[in-house]
Amino acid sequence: MNITLTLRILGALLLFLAIALLVPVPCSWFYRDGAASAFIFSSFISAVCGGALYSLFRSETDLSVREGFAVVTFGWTLFALFGALPFVFSGAIPSYLDAFFETMSGFTTTGSTILIDIEALPPSILLWRSLTQWLGGMGIIVLSLAILPMLGVGGMQLFKAEVPGPTADRLKPRIQDTAKLLWGVYVLLTGAEVLLLMAGGMSFFDGVNHAFTTMATGGFSTRNASVAAYGSAYIDWVITIFMFLAGVNFSLHYLALRGKIGDFIRNEEFLFYTGLIMVGTTLVVLLNMGSTYPDFFDNLRFSAFQVVSIMTTTGFGTADYELWPVLCQYLLIFSMFIGGCAGSTGGGMKVARILLLCKHAQVQVFRLIHPRAVRLVKFGGRPVDKDVMQSILGFFALYLGVFVVASFIMAGVGMDIPSAGASVIATLSNIGPGLGSVGPVDNFAHVPAFGKLVLAFCMLLGRLELFTVLVLVFPSFWRK
Amino acid sequence: MNILIVGAGQVGYFLCERLSLEGHEVTLIDRDQEHLNAAQDRLNVLGILGNGASAETMEQAGIKEADIIMAVTDLDEVNILVCLLAREYGVGKRIARVKSIDYLSRGAVLSKDKLGIDLMINPDDAVADELANLAARAGTFDVAEFVNGQIQFLGYRISEDSPLCDLTLKELGEIRGMYRFVVVAITRYGHTIIPRGDDTIQVGDSIFIFAHKEELPAIQYLLQIKEEKRRGARRAFILGGGRIGLRVALNLEERGFNVRLIERDQERCEKLSAKLKKTMVIHAEGTDIRALLDEGVADADVFIAVTENDETNILCSLLCKHHGTKRTLCLVNRPEFLDLAPSLGVDACVSPRLSAASAILKFARRGNVISLATIEGSNSEVLEIEVKAGSTIVNTPLKNLHFPRGAIIGAIVHKQGYEIPDGESSLKTGDRVLIFALPEALAKVERFFE
Repeated sequence: MNITLTLRILGALLLFLAIALLVPVPCSWFYRDGAASAFIFSSFISAVCGGALYSLFRSETDLSVREGFAVVTFGWTLFALFGALPFVFSGAIPSYLDAFFETMSGFTTTGSTILIDIEALPPSILLWRSLTQWLGGMGIIVLSLAILPMLGVGGMQLFKAEVPGPTADRLKPRIQDTAKLLWGVYVLLTGAEVLLLMAGGMSFFDGVNHAFTTMATGGFSTRNASVAAYGSAYIDWVITIFMFLAGVNFSLHYLALRGKIGDFIRNEEFLFYTGLIMVGTTLVVLLNMGSTYPDFFDNLRFSAFQVVSIMTTTGFGTADYELWPVLCQYLLIFSMFIGGCAGSTGGGMKVARILLLCKHAQVQVFRLIHPRAVRLVKFGGRPVDKDVMQSILGFFALYLGVFVVASFIMAGVGMDIPSAGASVIATLSNIGPGLGSVGPVDNFAHVPAFGKLVLAFCMLLGRLELFTVLVLVFPSFWRK
Repeated sequence: MNILIVGAGQVGYFLCERLSLEGHEVTLIDRDQEHLNAAQDRLNVLGILGNGASAETMEQAGIKEADIIMAVTDLDEVNILVCLLAREYGVGKRIARVKSIDYLSRGAVLSKDKLGIDLMINPDDAVADELANLAARAGTFDVAEFVNGQIQFLGYRISEDSPLCDLTLKELGEIRGMYRFVVVAITRYGHTIIPRGDDTIQVGDSIFIFAHKEELPAIQYLLQIKEEKRRGARRAFILGGGRIGLRVALNLEERGFNVRLIERDQERCEKLSAKLKKTMVIHAEGTDIRALLDEGVADADVFIAVTENDETNILCSLLCKHHGTKRTLCLVNRPEFLDLAPSLGVDACVSPRLSAASAILKFARRGNVISLATIEGSNSEVLEIEVKAGSTIVNTPLKNLHFPRGAIIGAIVHKQGYEIPDGESSLKTGDRVLIFALPEALAKVERFFE
């Protein structure tokens, strides 16, 4: 572990955060909400700390795998620690712990909130909340790779440590160019959504905020009632479609923009993802028929929105699914584990992993029947590397392990059984709302302090896909 | 630039490393996933699994947008096919690594023009030429010539009894007096820096200088490297009569050396003897030091070990050094061993793959770079660049130009004469400028002259 190099890069990342913290300042001036000084002060603190780290530590060596893990994990933690400052300074969230929880929930695109009255907050603070999600969605490190030339060497280590999915796609030979393309597509889609939302009657401010949090599959809203506040079928559908798009691998979007739309249909993961959402929506529609929603189109609109929102790990709400039949809730809980596609902004275990696990299981059963048969797990027509398959099995075991341990802790700090489990999976899969006392119409304000820390850690684990964070726990990681 | 490299061996890896550091888009194609992963994880390159001679793989790798293709697998035929394929796709520059004499010789039926290859490079030939150059220059371990041989770039190792020991560059400047040369780099413990006036030269350092060839005798005198005035010719021993050994022998014969070539295979000895005119071919084992001593290896000027085995080469060089040979040069295939040379006491180690890679880099470099050399044991390069007409940097004193950090101008060759520059010097159109650049400054230097 080269600690000097790690600290230097972390310094650069903090300088970068200092710039991001200035973005809401013009918004604050425009609305005269008085929060501008909080942002400027926070930005100043990050700049001083970042500048100190950057200039005090110098290192000539290149980034290796270990530093990659450390930079990404600590980078995200620092972003949450410093990104929480404006909430405290502006008085929007008086407790630093709560602010940290909220910021971590933002950057990891979870969308769990401890705020009870969102609409009472200054607009610039709301913008910062959405911005944290937007930056975290495509990845802070990926963005820094695109912008900071110093990360070029060894950038692949950082890229792999942050980009979700079992393997990281590269669109271009140079990692910087890949990062630029991914962010380009992300910005483009966000812009498109802003325009479409405004066409449906949203204000520019609400449009930007919702587009930010939709494309990031985050789920922060500027309204207490989330998207339901607009009561518009058009807006619901626009958001449903963009949530769906945000859950797709962004490499596919890029190829589609380059005219290769056929790649969507050839991509196994995309087909499986679409299939899962269709089946889920159909089931929920059938179960909700008659009892909950008498009108078919209302039924379809609310069911599809909720299924896509949970499955892509966005976490927007237009309906309180706790009022739906129990089986519906059960379906939603399970889709929480799956999440979006690899290389998307969604969380969860990722569709690619689930698909490969299913195939692996199938091959195992097949082998029992035909012991001498040779059969490989294939993905997209190519046999899957044994290493990849093993890392997926390991990931699955760890995911469940973390879920179980964290649920125990949450039950230990005094939450009831459904809420304990649901709060963990809602944060671990970066969804936001869960069930019980942390359901879609509730919030996380009542969770005890220690529980908030555990959940914030779950968010980080989920966003960085376990391995990146957990390797730091091993003592051998720190030894020379 | 968009560059495709086929073959993730040592040459391929080295090329990837250099070119990606300079900011080019590099795609690497290989049939072995492990080799690809090694490159992809450590370098900023994209790996594509597949056969480079297959159109499908190459389209996937983006051959349509490629500017240069470098085929450097171990197989001549694959490399040639890759280049043929690249010609069909209209790739601008095509480079192939080829070892067979069938394609390389002057009268080859399938010449490189017919095959559509711009540069055919044979690692063995490249390294043999490098060895012969080193052998001919006493005291140095790295030599490159620029501007038709007028300006020389030389590397010297500083031993304990060197008069330069513990001098700062400022002091050196004072005693240097009338001799005109400039120390552009110092390598210490594998780390290369561009020194300033208050940096000192220490024992064990390697220093790199630029000098005009007329100044060489004076510099040799200053560094107390005596080109002994002996009666008769200088004596060279070559261990290993393979292709490289033969080529070195031929080259040294031409330079008037008294050459003895040691080969352990009787039949091969006879063949060598038929091909060589003046060289004495000796049938012996390299480690049979008695036979070598009988032939007078103890007071030979240079011993060159070029067998296929790295360990044999290094050990035999050390053995001869121990018995009194003045200089030993050593062929090393594994790049990891290259850095060992100074600490072991071998005067220079060269690697065929690195020599080939530098020859390829030299060819592939775009724009106004005329010539280039790569430096042993570091990633730095020496560039020869011509100042183009209409360039904004013309006629301004150097101190007012923002010359990139991590690079230094070692010499300027005007139409009439040359100059070791200082802050007041200025560049004119048509000047050739010699620059030493650390890897991170390479791209900046090229941009500076654009």
